[in-house]
Amino acid sequence: MKIRGVLIEDTFAEAFTMRVARLIITGRSVRWAREATLKLTGFATSVIGCKCEAAIERELGADETPDGRPGFSVLFMTMSKDDLPKRLIERVGQTVLTCPTTACFDGLPDAPDRVGVGSALRFFGDGFQASKVIGGERFWRVPVMEGEFLVQEKFGMVKGVGGGNFLMLARSADAALEAAEAAVDAMSGRTGVILPFPGGVVRSGSKVGSRRIKSMIASTNDAFCPTLRAVTDTQLPEGVNSVLEIVINGTDAESIAAAMRAGIDAACREGVVAITAGNYGGKLGPHHFHLRKIMSGAPA
Amino acid sequence: MSAGLVGRLRQPLPARVDLAEALAGSWAGLGAKDLARRPARLGGKAVPLGELFDLTGTPAGRIRFEGDLAAADRIGAGLSEGEVVVDGSVGDGTGLGMSGGSIDVRGDAGARTGGAADDARRGMTGGELLVRGSTGPEPGTRMRRGLLVVAGDIAEHAGPGMIAGTVIVFGSAGRAPGRWSKRGSIVALGRVEIPPTYRYACTYQPDHIRLTLLRLRARYDIMVDDRYVSGFYHRYSGDLADLGRGEILAWTAE
Repeated sequence: MKIRGVLIEDTFAEAFTMRVARLIITGRSVRWAREATLKLTGFATSVIGCKCEAAIERELGADETPDGRPGFSVLFMTMSKDDLPKRLIERVGQTVLTCPTTACFDGLPDAPDRVGVGSALRFFGDGFQASKVIGGERFWRVPVMEGEFLVQEKFGMVKGVGGGNFLMLARSADAALEAAEAAVDAMSGRTGVILPFPGGVVRSGSKVGSRRIKSMIASTNDAFCPTLRAVTDTQLPEGVNSVLEIVINGTDAESIAAAMRAGIDAACREGVVAITAGNYGGKLGPHHFHLRKIMSGAPA
Repeated sequence: MSAGLVGRLRQPLPARVDLAEALAGSWAGLGAKDLARRPARLGGKAVPLGELFDLTGTPAGRIRFEGDLAAADRIGAGLSEGEVVVDGSVGDGTGLGMSGGSIDVRGDAGARTGGAADDARRGMTGGELLVRGSTGPEPGTRMRRGLLVVAGDIAEHAGPGMIAGTVIVFGSAGRAPGRWSKRGSIVALGRVEIPPTYRYACTYQPDHIRLTLLRLRARYDIMVDDRYVSGFYHRYSGDLADLGRGEILAWTAE
């Protein structure tokens, strides 16, 4: 299969089941909502080193948030259900509670599984905290020097998918970056999908384990490193001098597939030789996103 | 979607009627015939609810009462589920000790609205009670949880002995609000006299008030002016003659 001259390789992205929460962060202005959100989702690219993966899902208008202020929705993901509340409590406590004017709400109100977040953060109030039940949901008012921090007691948790991906194999670094930027633009702001890496793009795709150090759980994906073409079992076609990857996490496989379809289509442009995807032979992750199926419009 | 049950008053009430048992406990799944068998007390005498009201419709967790119910006391007492709408004014003790569900009174309400039975330690323990007119004295007595909204005025003594929960009054809060309140919140959007046992804390924008008022707009279609949603409130802590963890939040135009 080729799209505008770019080969779509007959392979698939292999992804994993993760646990997901959706947070709604609001503030008096977009500026402060964004500040809290960027801190919350900072250093959250990969569970390998960050213990969680998180990013902005989309910006929300004042008419879309529970308290009528501007905000952002965030998807926050961990590998296990036990990890999710731990990481949320750490990060909301350090980045949203601390940020002027912000409040933090659950964005998955219909999820039957609930994890306590405000129920733990309330203790920062040192006994002066108070709760309010509004519309059947409990919120905690934590007194802070600015006034009060309002946080929902529990957040919904659902099973999601992490690790959808595709790689853009390009003739030059500039071409790879332009393709990646176009793909990210096409994939951003979609409900149910995040791109947790910087600007949505990964330059350091990894393989499982290491050739030399047994304790390492991941190391550089040498088969796709152009500088190692001559000394490793390269998977790079001739003429490829730079590769960038986009990792896609989401609340469900269908949302990820739809985002991949839009992203790959945008990435098929001048200077790109092929689009491929990372997998582990299909033995590790239960979710397989076949590139050609996706690009032909078939269900994920 | 079914509109639920409708209870039309068959004829003007000849005496005060006590409807305390009409909607107490589980009722939302009952049909009109079953609900008609529930007891009421007319002038102290037990009569089936169906003798007073023509009950029609199908169960959908909702009931609407129609007719002049100003002499009907304790509508929705002990309510734990479902939506109750009263098209007009009601008597005393509406929503007494309710624990869930909602009551929307589209008129005035009498004394002890959302209050507690005389021998009960707690009043409302949950649910939402909305009075679109004014109330008599002592609404929200010994409230433990829940929301009582009065779109008009409160005669006097709002939320006596509140343990927690929230009373919002759009009009005058009346004399002596929040007496003996432990942790309750009285939100006064209109005139309010701050009792001497309350102490000023600060002027700020409480996020939970914004959230609550926006919910009232969305859920009950109440006209809530933006100046209340995004406005500033004086916070007074009290009742310092009791636990003192409660508050009066008085909206300010400053």
